[in-house]
Amino acid sequence: MHDGRFDPSGFYEFNLTQGMVRTRTGERVVVLSEDVLSSLVAAAARDGDLTPLRRLGELLGEHVLSGLDRPASLLSPEAVLGHVSAVTSLFGWGRLGFERWGAGLVIALRDKPELDEDELGAAALLGGMFSEISQRQVSCVPAGDSKFIMVDFEVAETVWGWFKDGADLPAIVGMLETKRAS
Amino acid sequence: MSDREERLRSLLDKVRAKRPDEPAPHAADALERIRTASGTMSATSQPSIPAPAAPPQPTPVPSAYPTRAPSSPLPDPPAAAIIDSPTRYSSQPPTVERPLSVEPRARSNEPPASAPAASPSATRPEAIRPQSVAPSGQPVIYATDQPEFVRPKTFGDLLELTLSLRPR
Repeated sequence: MHDGRFDPSGFYEFNLTQGMVRTRTGERVVVLSEDVLSSLVAAAARDGDLTPLRRLGELLGEHVLSGLDRPASLLSPEAVLGHVSAVTSLFGWGRLGFERWGAGLVIALRDKPELDEDELGAAALLGGMFSEISQRQVSCVPAGDSKFIMVDFEVAETVWGWFKDGADLPAIVGMLETKRAS
Repeated sequence: MSDREERLRSLLDKVRAKRPDEPAPHAADALERIRTASGTMSATSQPSIPAPAAPPQPTPVPSAYPTRAPSSPLPDPPAAAIIDSPTRYSSQPPTVERPLSVEPRARSNEPPASAPAASPSATRPEAIRPQSVAPSGQPVIYATDQPEFVRPKTFGDLLELTLSLRPR
């Protein structure tokens, strides 16, 4: 019986004859060292194009959705967190947690690979993953201390500017207010 | 008595005859040097004469009780709640160990009889908020408005809240 928990057994299939690693959804993956990935992400951040990281996040989101028996929006935050953190861990991207700061949802990603100084690579990955999970365009803006505040796509640039100007997470949350769509 | 025993006995006599004379000059010289150098030597100090061998100590017997205090100190009392700390989610439903009646909560508009059975996630203690406690420390029970931060029951509710944030 499906108890709503993520089952990591048999997630990867190692085909040594063909030299391939596939996930259980059939997607081929490649194991990279952190140093190599860091160089690639740093170059992408310098060029201002983190689309590949966002696409990788979307693929992680697809894995999360494949393990859910209902849309994520109908599940409890704890249930979604269980699946998201399991997939994130299986791909080696660290320990993921949810925090609520006022009305804001903050993603904490501990022990993640050290990619770029501004953590834009991880932000792009999380943005792609949660956009896929929620089926909406969301952004996860770096807020320091390996935390990312999830906001609407339209206000991400503003929030990022606040953080670059020195605002910490409590200050950022204090500069935001809930506005319901009319 | 054999030759070997005679040789050993004569050696032993030589050692006994020589021992009382040997340490004394060295000790007397050392004592004189210390006296002339500091001038404050205690009257109780004696030249160092080899002490006789101490009798063997009895072997300690293990005791059934610890003879030392615990090496680790007692844990510090829990720190006071920090107001600006976030609400953290666990991927596992929390275990309810206390009845809900001890939780300071705003009064609910729904009658208790019609309320559905509380799920584990719904009974999770909420973070301490300044809005929920009056300056006197008593719970605010006369408020008719919903608390400012309602704990979302679903991930969709949580998403709606965070995506509705706009700059002030």
